[in-house]
Order: sequence, then structure tokens, then C-alpha cells
Amino acid sequence: MRRTIPYILSLILVAVACDPEPVLLDESVIDDSGHAGIFVLSEGLFNQNNSTLSWIDFTTRQADSWSAATGRSYDAFEKVNGRRIGDTANDLLLYGSRIYIAVSESSTIEILDASTCNSLKQIPLSRNGIASQPRRLTANGGYVYVCCFDGTVSRIDTLTMTTDATVQVGRNPDGICHANGKLYVSNSGGLDTQNPDNTISVIDINTFTETKRITVRSNPGTIFADGTNVYVVSRGIFDYGTMDYDSRLHRIDTQTDQVTATYDIPILNMDIVDGKAWFYGYGAGGTIQVLDLATGQVLDSDFITDGTHVECPYSIKVEPDTRKVYVCDALDYVTPGTLFCFTPDGRLLYRVQGIGINPNTIAFCDEKVTLTQYQGETKIIGDIDRVFEYMPAPGQFVNVLPNYEQGDDAASMNAKCLKALQSGSLISLGGFGGYITAGFNTSVYNQEGADFRIDGNAFSNNAEPGVVWVSADINNNGVPDDDWYEIWGSEQKEGRATLGYTITYTKPAANDVDTPWNGSDERSGSIQHNGFHSQPYYPQWYSNTTLSFTATLLPDNVSFNGTDYIMSAFGYGYVDNLPNSETNSAFDIDWAVKSDGTPAGLDSINFVKIQNGVIGCYPRIGELSTEVTAIYNLNSKTE
Amino acid sequence: MTFDVKYCLITICTLCFHPEAQGQVLSDTIRSKDIPQVTITSNRTTNPHSVSTSKKADARLMQATGTLQVSDVLKYFSGATVKDYGGVGGLKTVSVRGLGASHTAVAYDGIIITDNQTGQIDLGKFSASQAGSVSMVSGPDNDLLQPAALAAQAAVIGINTDRPDLEDVKQRSSAQIKYGSFNTLSAQAESAFKAGQNNMVEIQGEWLKTDGNYPYTQDNGASSLNMRRENSDVQRLRVEGALFSNFGQNTTLTTRAYWFQSEQGLPANILYNENAAHERLWSRNGFIQSTLTTLLSNRLTLRTSAKYGITYTRYLDPKVNTTLGKTDNRYTEQEGYFSATALYRLADRITASAGIDGRLSTLEGNGADQASPTRYTINSTVAIKYASERLTLTSRLNHVFTTEKTKLRQAAESYNHLSPTAGLNWLVWPDAGLHFRAFFSNTLRLPTFNDLYFEQIGRRDLRPENASVTSAGMVIEKRIGNVLYSVYADAYNSNVKDRIMAVPGKNTAVWMMKNIGQVTTHGFESGLELHSQDGVVRPALLVSYTYQRSMDKSDSNGTTWNHQLPYTPRHSASAVTWIETPYVNASCNLLYSGEYYCNGYNGPEYRMPSYYELGCSVWRNFRIKAIELTLRAECINLTDSRYELVRNYPMPGRQFRISATIEL
Repeated sequence: MRRTIPYILSLILVAVACDPEPVLLDESVIDDSGHAGIFVLSEGLFNQNNSTLSWIDFTTRQADSWSAATGRSYDAFEKVNGRRIGDTANDLLLYGSRIYIAVSESSTIEILDASTCNSLKQIPLSRNGIASQPRRLTANGGYVYVCCFDGTVSRIDTLTMTTDATVQVGRNPDGICHANGKLYVSNSGGLDTQNPDNTISVIDINTFTETKRITVRSNPGTIFADGTNVYVVSRGIFDYGTMDYDSRLHRIDTQTDQVTATYDIPILNMDIVDGKAWFYGYGAGGTIQVLDLATGQVLDSDFITDGTHVECPYSIKVEPDTRKVYVCDALDYVTPGTLFCFTPDGRLLYRVQGIGINPNTIAFCDEKVTLTQYQGETKIIGDIDRVFEYMPAPGQFVNVLPNYEQGDDAASMNAKCLKALQSGSLISLGGFGGYITAGFNTSVYNQEGADFRIDGNAFSNNAEPGVVWVSADINNNGVPDDDWYEIWGSEQKEGRATLGYTITYTKPAANDVDTPWNGSDERSGSIQHNGFHSQPYYPQWYSNTTLSFTATLLPDNVSFNGTDYIMSAFGYGYVDNLPNSETNSAFDIDWAVKSDGTPAGLDSINFVKIQNGVIGCYPRIGELSTEVTAIYNLNSKTE
Repeated sequence: MTFDVKYCLITICTLCFHPEAQGQVLSDTIRSKDIPQVTITSNRTTNPHSVSTSKKADARLMQATGTLQVSDVLKYFSGATVKDYGGVGGLKTVSVRGLGASHTAVAYDGIIITDNQTGQIDLGKFSASQAGSVSMVSGPDNDLLQPAALAAQAAVIGINTDRPDLEDVKQRSSAQIKYGSFNTLSAQAESAFKAGQNNMVEIQGEWLKTDGNYPYTQDNGASSLNMRRENSDVQRLRVEGALFSNFGQNTTLTTRAYWFQSEQGLPANILYNENAAHERLWSRNGFIQSTLTTLLSNRLTLRTSAKYGITYTRYLDPKVNTTLGKTDNRYTEQEGYFSATALYRLADRITASAGIDGRLSTLEGNGADQASPTRYTINSTVAIKYASERLTLTSRLNHVFTTEKTKLRQAAESYNHLSPTAGLNWLVWPDAGLHFRAFFSNTLRLPTFNDLYFEQIGRRDLRPENASVTSAGMVIEKRIGNVLYSVYADAYNSNVKDRIMAVPGKNTAVWMMKNIGQVTTHGFESGLELHSQDGVVRPALLVSYTYQRSMDKSDSNGTTWNHQLPYTPRHSASAVTWIETPYVNASCNLLYSGEYYCNGYNGPEYRMPSYYELGCSVWRNFRIKAIELTLRAECINLTDSRYELVRNYPMPGRQFRISATIEL
């Protein structure tokens, strides 16, 4: 019910500090366990379309939210995308290399590339002409889950960036978290003021079905998981005698899905780290407190020790390693808010003023973020201008990324791939051997260190490595008919890769069955058709019934830890292997070799080919398939 | 604006005129057998003899300003700030001199119209054709016979019907049809006739419908969209009947029955990426009111009024994420009202009056959670006035007592308050027609039922708002040739303590309140008017300028300290001109508003740009035997100026309207 708070409390103007001023943060900022900075989402004022995104960069020590030139705070989202987020952006989630924003009143999910804040997709959410009002987000196993006020939880496939399933829960869910293979959704029913809901929906993540409702006190909202337990704040029914709510905190055991404790503590919002909750409450006058979640004892009834005054805490985040506590102050709900950073013992380290109106979410980002001023409609990402060939192997995202439509042929699929890569959207190479060939708009010169970069969607334990080949346009005819040289990454270099492995896929009789394959070493298997992706997996524009590829086969990189499949990254030299922000995700032309493994000695290249180098197909994750989002030339000039 | 003012002035100066008696001056002091009544025969908007600033728009000014709804013409009154949500159906409220819209009372033929639920009357619901004239008095009224409830108001918008003129004929009838942009069609008919020697009957009906789907641009940078307002249709019907009776020479009785009903959509607040508008609003309002004025002797006049009114409102949002899947609020507000005022002439120049008004208001709603309040209000007043040819002095003491009961939850506290007003008008320099005028007033505005009881938002311990205004200024009225020149300039200081503000949230039917605390306004308003009274070619020009510096004085440590009140431009101006000739008549009008803020915090985020709107019209009368036909064409917002007066509620761009009126 966050929406109603400014709605009600904006009636009362509260005394607060002064106008926002430009800030250059001091050195105390730069030590947050490798974070590049923090995003702060501000919801703005109800029905004013003024939700904003701020970026505080720990490296440059700049708050990228305030312009000294114009003397006013600005919106990082608007700066990059040339438009505004919308009305009442309620939650922000960083997952993989993407930012997901739930915009409640505008009823959309915005998906941004985290390193640029470039909007990749806007998903409108409505049912039967009623705005769904997305409220809160959580993510697990490649999917983002959003709970909406219309009583639903939708699942967003992070690769296709579409909602692929929706499940009905209780009324006006206003919080979501996951633990133990289950989603927990707090059904507030808060829109029925005098008759709120009082349940927590439990959803099995594998089947994506609601399996249980746990009864709690009325009007549950804020919900957090800490591995074994789920903690939920239930606000109760508005009491006309006290003109206030009477809130409780429940603890739910995720093994039994039973409420195991209820604490009489009026919590409005909190963050949980290591069995403790840093929280602020209703009417607590800005006091931050610390709670022992095991005992319900308040360990610290006034966390701030140096007298720093927080007028109206509106969000809180604890850095799990350094235990620094970040608090956003909404002040009087109409002026741009303030971000405070406190040491673990409650002393103010720094503050950033003017970050946005009603700042409701704080998120740490490890990737370097570069915000580029919006330049107009045609914003081209990366440095390629041609796609010569796109031939994916069968896979769960083939015919979807990019989308195949009736009548498409190889040429039109190439054009779709170019469009996708120039806008930072994913394309999938399908199973082992699938490839794409693209041309740079200017030569890439071989200089010391990295020369080009190919972005994928890898994040920690989610590597689907692809092998890279390069070619120079020696005959200057603009097409890749010159010699190709393989980039040898860590696995070829160490002799762990199988060069020249051939695989043949056979088109299945039906569109919804597995696609069998045979390898050149008598191995065989299949690309399994799964329930998540129902489209045909065999490239539909390819007319032959068998499809063969010859490629470098990298070693198996997948292991199972009892709960999840771990897709480990290799050392260097592959696409979709390490997160895009990592130095070792870029490529050096010096790594290119002739067929005998000796250095190719290229001065420059013009063409690049990316080919999936792994075979593997597992439950829940499907086959391993390299995905590419953009290709960058890092050395377009000779020195 | 390219209107040729110079040409206009030359025309005026070369015309001759017949001097008109200036005897209308002190007509509200009792002389011989006159029934006291302010009669302003000229079509000027200001009254130089008033102690306070008063404005009046007659039918001609309403025509010249392209007025469809009463709120349209109020935008041309200096000191008035009209908040307009756009389109025919958009809510329109008026704040006078920075006091807030709920300090502005609306009176229909001298009897107050109340909305105890929201405290704000939608002036868009009254059409120009039902109002013979529209007046605005900010400060004490010269009329001592004014009912106590109106005398206790900081500002009064008067919607005054015309008494039919049946001196020479037995019957008068007229009919009008208007058609305009966005499929706006209205039809109106009225007839007045004598019923016996001492009675006149008037009946009037009006019907209006519009699609209201005007285009607008949703400005969101790279994702800007050209769209049309949706769910903006309005359908309205009004039927009125009045009986004017004379009982001998000294007693008149006017009885009016009124019925209004409407159904409309509520085009939503613009939201980026989400534009669904489903909400509907139905209103029905009926009242019967009667006023009896009797000259009991040549010293004593008694005026009594009674009214019963009922207002039904239904708000429906068929698509919300609640258990019912809809919000369906129905409210019925009823009121009974009685007023008695006695006026006594103590001496030739001194009159005194005393009055008492009683009112009972109830509000019932369909929700299980309704407080269902009943409010009893008693306003009493005593006043004294000295009036000579050159000097008018008035002094008044108002008292209000209010008490409430509720069916559910605790009712608000009873309240008593005594407040004074005083006014002065002095003809300083008779030859130049220069008057000095000044007043002080102290008035209250009671919390509305929504303020007190609405769901989680209402608070029963609200205090009434307390407004004090001190104003001083001068007015010159002088006839040169056949042209009547008026110039006025007034400066004032107003203070509102314990301010409660109601502003709509998602749409105009869902309100939330806000207690700003204290507001101080320093204001200045001035105007110039030229009216040619006679002649073949009769031009007129009205120009006004308003300066308002409304400062939040709630908390000297607050972020909004000294910030300008929302929706209050510091500078605004208007101009209207028209010319009447034997061939054709034409008018041109211009509105300008400087920049302002849509929030009490004057951050750049909330800055609203300045805007202007230009309009023009031409019309001509034809006489065909006994029938007078008027054809009229007008263009509203000629330059297609696109602006929002209220944030995220776009105003319509260029519109055309044609009308035909027949009178016989």
C-alpha cells in the first residue's frame, strides 16, 4: 500500500531541510565490496508521471541525478531514453545485466540494460482492460516474477523479455519473495479498505502454480526471505479510533509453511541481512531500528548514533558485506528526497540530496554504468552494420529471438538479427554449432589489449560460451569471403577443446517434440522440447530436414549442486561467458590463430563469426545456447 | 493580439452621446417606495459605488467572451483564479484573491448553493443562457438585505436570472440552438407570460450533449503521442420554472423550481503508458426556493427566503482491483434553508439591518462506512450603513454557530464564531468621478463533510478556515462624450489561517484534503473599461490585470515557506473587446496566465508554463416581422494554444461554435 502513503500523508507538510545542492561525494563512498554504484528509484507524486531513476557512481563519486548546469535534479532514465518512466514506479530489481522496474499506475514493466540504462523493452500489463498495476518484483532461475494489484503473479522470461505465464493469487498482492523453491506473495487486499485480505500465497516455482495460502493478520505487505524463513509485515485494519494501523511482523517457516512467530513491532519497511532486520516503523519519526529476527528482540532502538535526522524514511538497504546502511528520506513527500549512507555503527558517511521524489528502492550495481544523453529515435548500439548469415542450431529460443514470422527467409532473418543487435536485444544461436556472421562498420585495429567486445547475457554461474572467429576484408569487397581465423580462448589454448567437431540435427516430425542430434564421435542426444517454450525449435526458414555444423566443442561447463545447475564460465576468450562488465569478456585480435594454432598476425579485422561451443541440455534450463546482444569495436582508429 | 485599439479609441472620440442620468447610484438605500435592489443599467463590469470590489458580467460580456459555461466568463474577472480540468465536463472552481475555492460561495438569485460534501461548486454546471448576469463580489456587499449566510462569505459568485420584461407585451419566447466542435450540441427554449394581473410565469429548458473528445498531445519526450480525450461525453438537462407575484404595491414573491440532471464520463488524468478512462458521474439536483420581499412601512423592509434542495451524485469506476471489481459511490445531500432579514431606515442616511439564516444539511452515502452527518448551521448578522451622495460606510457583525451529528463515528465539535466586516466608499473627487474604497472582512469556511469524515482521509478535529482580507483601492468612472470610462485599481492583503485544501487525486471525483496551515496573499488588481453607450457603432474594451503573491506561511522552517500557492499565477491578465454596428457585431477576447506551480512546493518539477488563449466571434441580428433572429459564429482558442491548466488534464485546443437564436 505504498501508493496510499503519499496520497494520505501529502496532506500534511512537514518541516524539512533545504533545497537540493550538487554533491561531489568524498572518498568514503568508494569501498562497497566492488559495487560500481547504486541506483535509486523514486516513485514521484501520485498521478504526476514523475517517477525517476538516479545513479550514484562510486567511481566518479558523482550523483548522476543532479545537474550543476541546469541547477535541477534530472532523471537518468529520461536522460538515456528521451522519455519518462511513468507514474508511481514502485519497485526496481537488478537481475543479470538488466534492470526491471515495476511501474504501478502506468501499469508497465520497464526492462533496462543495467550498464547503459537503455530501455530494452516495455511490457504493458493489463487484463480485461483493467490496469494490472505491477507492484513488486523478485527473480529466480532466469525468470523475473512480478505481483500485480489485480491479484496475479506474472512470470517474465528474461531472455524473450515477455510474460510467459500468469497465476492467480489473493487480492492486491503487495509483496513477493522466494525461498526454498517457492514464491511467497503477500495478499494485502488493501484496496478494500475495511475488508483486506489476510493470506500469503505460496507458489511452486517449478510448476508455477499456487499450492497453498497461509493465513496471517490482515493486510500483509512487505515480505522478505532469508533462506529458511519468510518475514512479512501485516498492517492490520485501519482503526478509526486511533486513525492508524496496528502492525505485526510474522515469521513463516518455509519447510512447513506455518507462521512460527508473530512480533508486535510496527514495521513499515525493512531490509534483512544475516538474521537481523534494519527497519523503520509507522510514526516512528524517522527512527531506524535493528531487530533480531530469531527472538523478536529490538537490538537497537535507535540505530543512528550521530544525531543525523532522517525526516521520513522511505526505503532502506543494507550492504550485506560492509553492513553499511543506506536510507532514503522522502522528506515532505513533495520535494526531491535524500539518500543517506551510514556506517555499521550508525554514523553518517555521506548524503546525496535531490535524488527524486519519494525514493522507494535502493539497488547496488556491480556493472560500470555509463549514461549517454538521448540523441533521437535512431539510437544504434554497437558497431556492426551488416549480418551476413544467421544459422542457429535448434533450440528453445530459435524462431523467437529473433522472431520468425510466416514468409521469413534467411535474408529477412539476417535483417532481424541486425536490428536486434543494433538495439541491444538478444539473439539466440540455439544449440551447439549455431552461428552468426556480422560485419563491423569500420575496421577493428589490433592494438595492445582488448580490441572488440561481444555482449551476451551471462551472469554469475550462467555461462553459455560461444567461440569467435575473425576475418579481415583483404580483397576489400565488403563480404566475408576471406580467410577466417579462430580466436583461441582459455580452453583451446590449454588443449581442452575439440576442434572441428561436427553435429547433425534432424528436423522432428512434429513441432512440439525433441530434436535429435548425432555427433561426429558417435555421441547422440536431443534438444528437448520443454513446457516453457512451445514454438518449433528447428529453424523454420531452413528447408532441409537435416542441419549440420562443424565447430569447436568446448568442455562441459555444467554441474549440479543439489539445488541448481551451475553453468561455470571459462577463463577468457568466449562470448556469453563472463558478465559483460568483466575485463576478460573482451577480445584481443592477437588471440586469433591459423588452423595450425600459430598466431594469425592480423593488423585489423572486419568480420566476426560467433558459434555456440557447448553441448548440454538440462531440466529447467533447457539446452545451452549462446546469446548475443551487441558487438562493439574498441579500436576503430590506429594509434 | 492585433486588434486595433487605436482605431477603436478614435471611433469612440468622434462619436456623440446622450448623457445618461447617474441616478442609479444609491438605489439600495431606501428612498420613498422603491424596493431596494441594485440596478446597474450600464454594461460596465465594475460598480464604482461598492465598498468592495465587485464585478458583473451581463449577457453581452458573456457573449463577447464566448461563454458557454458560467466559469468561462469568470476567467475575465480580475482577482478570480479559475481552476479548470478541461472540456465541458471538467470540474471548474473559482478561487478569489488567493483564499481558495471553498471560500467562494455561489448564490442563485441571492440564495446560497451549498455542497457540504466537497465545499466546491462546479461552476461549469451553470450555462451562460440561464444566467442573465454573473456577478462576483469579494468583500462586504453594499446590499444590507443580503441574507446572513451570504454576508458571512469572503466572496460570492452570483448567478442571477433576469426578471422577464413584460411591460409592453403579454408574452416573450425565445429558442436557441448551438452546435460546436467535438459534437457539442445544445438547445434551449424559454417562455415568459403574464398570468393574471399580478403574476408572471417563466419556464425554461436546456439540453446539452457533447462528445468532448478533443485532441491533445501527451508530452513524454521521445514517446509523445497525439491522442484524443476519451470517455469525455457529457449530457445535461435543465428545467426551470419561476413564478413572480406581486401582492399590492409593496410585496413581491418570487418562487423558483429547478431541476438539473447530467451524465458524464470522467476523462482520466493522463498517465504515461496507461490511458484507460472508465469512470462515470451522474448528478441530479433539484430545488425549490422562494423569496418574499415586503415593505412593511416606509422605514422597514422584510425579506424572507426558504429553500429545499436535494442533490444526488453517483460515481462509478467499473474497473478497479477490489473484490467487487468496481467502485460505485452514491451520495444524497439534502438541505433545508430559511432566511429572514429586516432592514430599517433609522434616519435619512442611516439604515440598519438584522438577519438570521438557519440551515440543515444531511449527507447519506451507499457505503457501509458512511458517517452520514447532519449539520445544523445558524448564521446571524447585524449591519449598519451610512450613505450620503459622496460617502458610504458599512459595518457588519456576523455570527455562525454550527453543530453536527453523525450516524457512525464521532461527529465534529460544535463551533461558534463572531466575525466583523467594515467597508468605505468615498467619492473623493466628484468631477473626475474618483472614488476611494476600502474594506476589512473576516470570514470562515467550515470544514466539508469530506474533510471531516471521508474514509481514512477525513479528520473530525479540523478547525474551520479563517480568512481575513484588508483591501483598499480607487475607481474612476467618467463619461466623456458617449463613452463611459472606468478605471480601477485595488491592493489587498489576505490571510488564511488553518487552511484546509481539497484537491482532486486521480480524477475530479476522487478528492483528498490537505491542511496547508497559513497563507498570506498580497494582491493587486486593476482594470480599464470603455463602453460606448449610444451611437450607430458601439465599441467596448475591457482590460484587466491581476497580481497575486500567495505565500505559504505555515512553517518558517518548512520547504514550502513563502512558496506560491499551487495553481495561483503571480500575473494574469485578460482583455475583451467588441463592437456593435448596424451590419455586424464582432468580439475578440484574450486570456493570459503567467507561470505557476501545480504543487505547494515550487520546485522545477511542478512548474506550469504560462499560457494564453485567444477567441473571437461575429454575430448579427435580423428582424423578420415580429421575430428577431440572431446568428452567431465563434472561434474559441483561435491559435490552437495547447496547455494544461491543471497538471495532466489537457485543455481543448481550437474550437468552433455556431448558434441561432430566435426571439418573439
